[in-house]
Amino acid sequence: MSIAPHTPLKGSHAGRIFVIATHAFTQLARMKVFYFLAIFAVLAIASNFFDLPQHEGPESVGANVLHSIKSWSLGAMTLFSVVLSIVATALLLPKDVEDRTLYTILAKPVPRFDYLAGKLLGVLLLVFVSLAFMDVLMTVVLQIRTAMVIHEQEAMALGMGYTADAVASLRAETLANGPNAALQSAVFAVFLRASIMASLALLISTFSTSTLFTTIVSFLIYFIGHFQADARDFYLHAGQAGETGLAHWAALSVSLVLPDFQLFNVIDAVIEGQAFPLLMLAKLTLIGIYYALFFTLASWFIFADKEF
Amino acid sequence: MADTPPAVEIRNLVKDFKTSFRRLPLRAVDDVSIRIQPGEVYGLIGPNGSGKSTTMKALLGLVAPTAGQCAIFGKDSLQVDSRNDVGFLPENPYFYKHLSGAETLRFYGKLCGLGGRQLTDRVNELLALVDLEGARDRRLGGYSKGMLQRIGLAQALVQEPRLVILDEPTAGVDPVGSRQIRDLIVKLRERGITVFLCSHLLEQVQEVCDQVGIIFQGKMIKEGRLEDLIAIEDQTEIILRDASPELLAQITALIASTPGAALVRTGKPRTTLERLFLREIRDDKR
Repeated sequence: MSIAPHTPLKGSHAGRIFVIATHAFTQLARMKVFYFLAIFAVLAIASNFFDLPQHEGPESVGANVLHSIKSWSLGAMTLFSVVLSIVATALLLPKDVEDRTLYTILAKPVPRFDYLAGKLLGVLLLVFVSLAFMDVLMTVVLQIRTAMVIHEQEAMALGMGYTADAVASLRAETLANGPNAALQSAVFAVFLRASIMASLALLISTFSTSTLFTTIVSFLIYFIGHFQADARDFYLHAGQAGETGLAHWAALSVSLVLPDFQLFNVIDAVIEGQAFPLLMLAKLTLIGIYYALFFTLASWFIFADKEF
Repeated sequence: MADTPPAVEIRNLVKDFKTSFRRLPLRAVDDVSIRIQPGEVYGLIGPNGSGKSTTMKALLGLVAPTAGQCAIFGKDSLQVDSRNDVGFLPENPYFYKHLSGAETLRFYGKLCGLGGRQLTDRVNELLALVDLEGARDRRLGGYSKGMLQRIGLAQALVQEPRLVILDEPTAGVDPVGSRQIRDLIVKLRERGITVFLCSHLLEQVQEVCDQVGIIFQGKMIKEGRLEDLIAIEDQTEIILRDASPELLAQITALIASTPGAALVRTGKPRTTLERLFLREIRDDKR
């Protein structure tokens, strides 16, 4: 059998990935997943009412409510983004196989990598849009509430005879708990963590036979990721492995494959009004990109030879 | 023409599937070879589970052959560029229910690198071809089975492929829808598009195919031109219109007086139940 030379495919990889990504986004959006944003709006507004009456001085006026808004909002963002990234990714691939729509796509001149990358980007686009909406809502609520708290604090401080410097210092302290760059960085970190989980769910769904299996295993790995660093340290320093080279390699291999989600605890520090170091943001970004790429390439490796 | 590669060339295809509990693999396709020239309509027939769909999937690169080779217009089926020239309609496809008919075609068209005015024109042309212009903006969730098959056929044709592969294109479709799909296949043949279809509905295959292969338990047991395969070599058919009883008596007497010849059967030709059904519902509509 004589084989004809290769001919280039019409359109670019980026173009096909974009088409599949926007389609996956539309598919999920038409499944009415954005309804949960209404729940978030209720949460963001409800968190305004958690202002405990413990005003011993102007410093404590409204401190609880600002903390509560950030805590509830970032908590809800984490929950929604992780659930959405795992469940949506776990759903897309098996559904295409079950409905045989996958056959019609792969029977077109579409490389399997383009298909996988498109599906993943579609989910990430959905998570990004959802987080952006939640971020805007949180920022607006926090902005309004911060202005109210500052007004209240200044009135009380001036009434108690605070100096202008002390009032300015109080204002700066309160603004650190309001909407700022650190908070936006924390939201970006939430997105990075969701991206890792989506790419991990994609990898599992390439060999799993059901959406349920993919979802359960992904959540298990998510929880393991929160204590794998502790377990690794314990194994190296307190366990029987000791400090051998083999033990180090084993620990390194685990951390290369399983993400350490403790690194994302910096989000909790931001809720407490602390800064988000730029170096930490860069580190998390690199980690997010590394794991997303690693899991996507591993998915491709399995999916490339998969038979349907 | 001598340089034109065959539209489909399957050579000694073998496909084994691993089984979970038994150690022996299941052989779904066993040394099957098929060659389809451009412009032909080839029907692969066989009972359920005989290896028809697996053969088609191997040709589309959806499964990898255990042995043998598949090529589309000379290009190895395992390479993505072989799909530039092929459109595929799987058995009982569902497609994306959240998309309308026009959106579905736009989606598949974009995957094939089409865009702009060219894509819009192509979508309109295909919706007209499959008679779904009236349902272009309706979501596929509201389509009937026959409409789904037709939109499926339209998506298979979106990039103007030279080869169309249809897996049980009329499965589960009512006689009217089935007829529409067969008419479409005939139109494709008239346009010079090669069609490779598989079905276990023999009458349909007989109506549209030039070449036929019969596959059973994974093996190709008979293959050739349809006319050659179904002709009864030692019999001749004469169909008369308005023949008088006297003429028929003369013909019968002539045959009886001819040594070696025998009259096998006389009677009125019959239409098929399907043609009768289609004629009746057409008359009823008027």
